[in-house]
Amino acid sequence: MSQPLYLSGYWLLLLLFMPLAVYSGFRMLLGVMRKGEGGKERDWSVPQLEFETGAMSTVHRWDVRFKLASFLVLAFVVVSLQHHQTALAALLLAFCGYRAACIPWRRGFKRLLGMSGFLSMFLLMLPLTAVRQPDDLLLIFGQLEWLSFNLRGLDLAVLIILRATTVAMLMEPLLATAPLPVTLAGLSRMGVPQRITELLLITHRYLYVFVHEARRMQIGMEVRGFLKTSNIATLRTVGNFVGMLFVRSFERTERVYSAMMARGYQGHWPQPVSFRATTTDYYKTALCLALGILLLGCDRLLLVGG
Amino acid sequence: MHQQAKIQSELPTQQMLMEVTNLSFTYPDGTQALTGINLRINTGERIALVGHNGSGKTTLVKQLCGLLSPGQGEVTYLGQSLEGEHLAQSRLKIGLLFQDPDDQLFGHSIYEDVAFGPRNQGLSEAEVDRIVRQVIAEVGLDELLYKPPHALSYGQKKRAALAGLLAMQPDLLILDEPTANLDPAQEQVFLGLLQNFPGTLLLISHDLIFLYELCERALVLDRGHVHHDYLLKELVEHRPSLREHGLDFSFRFAENPALPTVTINPEIHPVPEVRRKNQCDEVLVDMRGVSYRYPDGTAALKGIDLQIRRGERVALVGENGAGKSTLLMCLLGLNAFRGDYRFADKPIHAGKGRMIWQQTGMVFQDSADQLVCPTCYDEVAFAPRQYGYSEDQVRVLVEKALKKVKLDGFDQRIPLHLSGGERKRLALASVLSLEPRLLILDEPTAGLDPQGEELLLEIIREIDATLVLVSHDIFFVRQLTERVLVMHRGQIAIDYPLSDFLSDKNLITLNGLDYTYRDQCALQIRELQHRHEHAHPHKHLHDHNHRHGELAHQHPHEHEHEHEHSYIHRHNETGEHQHPIQSEYHDHDHPGHEQDDHDHSH
Repeated sequence: MSQPLYLSGYWLLLLLFMPLAVYSGFRMLLGVMRKGEGGKERDWSVPQLEFETGAMSTVHRWDVRFKLASFLVLAFVVVSLQHHQTALAALLLAFCGYRAACIPWRRGFKRLLGMSGFLSMFLLMLPLTAVRQPDDLLLIFGQLEWLSFNLRGLDLAVLIILRATTVAMLMEPLLATAPLPVTLAGLSRMGVPQRITELLLITHRYLYVFVHEARRMQIGMEVRGFLKTSNIATLRTVGNFVGMLFVRSFERTERVYSAMMARGYQGHWPQPVSFRATTTDYYKTALCLALGILLLGCDRLLLVGG
Repeated sequence: MHQQAKIQSELPTQQMLMEVTNLSFTYPDGTQALTGINLRINTGERIALVGHNGSGKTTLVKQLCGLLSPGQGEVTYLGQSLEGEHLAQSRLKIGLLFQDPDDQLFGHSIYEDVAFGPRNQGLSEAEVDRIVRQVIAEVGLDELLYKPPHALSYGQKKRAALAGLLAMQPDLLILDEPTANLDPAQEQVFLGLLQNFPGTLLLISHDLIFLYELCERALVLDRGHVHHDYLLKELVEHRPSLREHGLDFSFRFAENPALPTVTINPEIHPVPEVRRKNQCDEVLVDMRGVSYRYPDGTAALKGIDLQIRRGERVALVGENGAGKSTLLMCLLGLNAFRGDYRFADKPIHAGKGRMIWQQTGMVFQDSADQLVCPTCYDEVAFAPRQYGYSEDQVRVLVEKALKKVKLDGFDQRIPLHLSGGERKRLALASVLSLEPRLLILDEPTAGLDPQGEELLLEIIREIDATLVLVSHDIFFVRQLTERVLVMHRGQIAIDYPLSDFLSDKNLITLNGLDYTYRDQCALQIRELQHRHEHAHPHKHLHDHNHRHGELAHQHPHEHEHEHEHSYIHRHNETGEHQHPIQSEYHDHDHPGHEQDDHDHSH
């Protein structure tokens, strides 16, 4: 039998604002960090990574193939964790890795901000929708008996958020410590078809062009009075907008391919990257895998311990 | 019918680089793009490829690069047909610069992009690194070596794209509209780079002034045929040819055709009267201390103070990246600016411009950005429908707007299928349908041929609204505005009347923009059109040593003879010209005339 705990209705209002508070907190944090940076123009005459890190960290010096394997294995381990304690430990380890990679905190928080809007909704949705089980602790707000806030749902939401945050923080040292073409070259050396890595590279480049194009078209519509509403006219306009964007993107794809052919592209992207593994790379990978096994082991022990 | 000339003489030392023989090409949808093209390109030639939109220029250059296979005929490079392995090798030696630099900047950074071609050529990494750094320094982007292409300005993108081609050290460089949308400073950089390019050049452009600086030979395409193949000088001399192919820019001299002086001094080029009938002292736009920072913290606008009166016509000039477009976004209330902005005495809050959009209209630099509907009618009807006009009212407004931009009858045409000039006018119609109080034009002439420019000028002149014009084209600024704001590094550096702007000789020291350059070139061409040499039999009194059998002597004498002669004259629409009356006695060189028979009375 589940145990109800009666609270004032004001608590419900407070909980409703919880996702918004998480999202706003991240925004404010980023705002403060941006002020600290002072809008300095980067020195683009040197590779971007050197600027961001100040110095080549141990993560930077790690062979990309080993780094990819280690972080991907760790990410899979993290998503399989089932206890808050181990998930929290994994998050702390991810923050340590992040720090070791000398990446500015703002970058990581910016990524978390992007996720926070979506993730913070779990804090509300899962407790309100979780199926009641015996021994569940339910919060009931005033006279609203039909609306219960299940603390087991909240537990689950926190676990999901911890795991997602850990994976996001693990991806930063992976992606920000080597140029994208090098990371993708490492991926293709690990057996991912080169056509896929080339597509990823091109997609990353043209995502910005696509977004700029879409933004300009959106402005073009807005300044002519377009306002999104829930009617057929809006649907038709959005349909035209998407269609036009598709046509323009399709035409651009053809032109980009022609430009690549005209510069000697014959089906494969020239990859000048050469990899040479050192003993240190093996040690770093072994350490990561050991941490992964340790986390998994503790998690399973906690499971057995109940 | 005017003359169709072919280059007859070729220097025997010139080696043939490419040859096109009886080339025809039809697209899968049945459009006949090229018919019976015969062409020879020699090493070191500089060729201007001109013609109307849809005349087959782009298809021809795609054939030359081997991006399309000939339907009929043959294209050869260094004597071998562009096929198989030879095609793959040839592509490494033929560079093609696309009109939109985003199409060919597919690298992760400028360095990676420029290295793409040399790596495909199989060069070692050390060699690639040396070439890439050298070429990027040549185009002046060495400080941005590792910047991602999406973060570059338009002019920087164009230069980076050119660097990607120069790094391959091509034999033949083909450029499609290289100067479109560039400011005068960037245009000069491009001009310098191309002037120093040692290989063969083929340029597609509507910008005859730019072509005139670079090319000797003109190849004019018309509906898939080579209509002319002669010297560029001969083309620019012949106004009927220019007009027929949409290249005649002589409307730029219409204000004062008699004066050949090279300057933009307003005393010589009088400033046209542009004060509108509705101009008054009521302030329409009032900005005080408006600032804006990009999300990355870069200051784009710094304390802008700007007042524009109703009916006023204002030009906004400045180098790429000076903050012009950002200011336009703030004028429309789209950007989250800081400061005080009032439109028609009503406060406009940052990022909340909706309340003024019914009274403002903006034509974007790339008209494709504001064309989203399936037909021209729907496009022009878009804004009135959004503001709840009835369909009867919409029909009236659409017809009126289309008529205003001379697109009557285009109602059911598909915007995507229109030419560049027609699209630009459609974009203008789409904002004119609501008869805005403030009309903003961002580089309205970018990518237009002279014919399109002339038509657009005529249309804009007739529009009765407060105007903000962003343009690098000094002629349009002179024709359409009365006040000029010079922007530099996010500030309005100078705000003065047009006449002061035109006579300001210190402007180049502020932002490096030489606005007089195009005028100078244009006047050179005009000079050529009106003062070139003709061979005419003519009779005049002259004085030189001559012989009568054994007798050699010198005295003034008169007899009819034929030789090249320089006249100042005008051409009419049919190509005929009239010479002014020459003085009875004039002296000039008569090469070889001394040895001719001289049978005259003494």
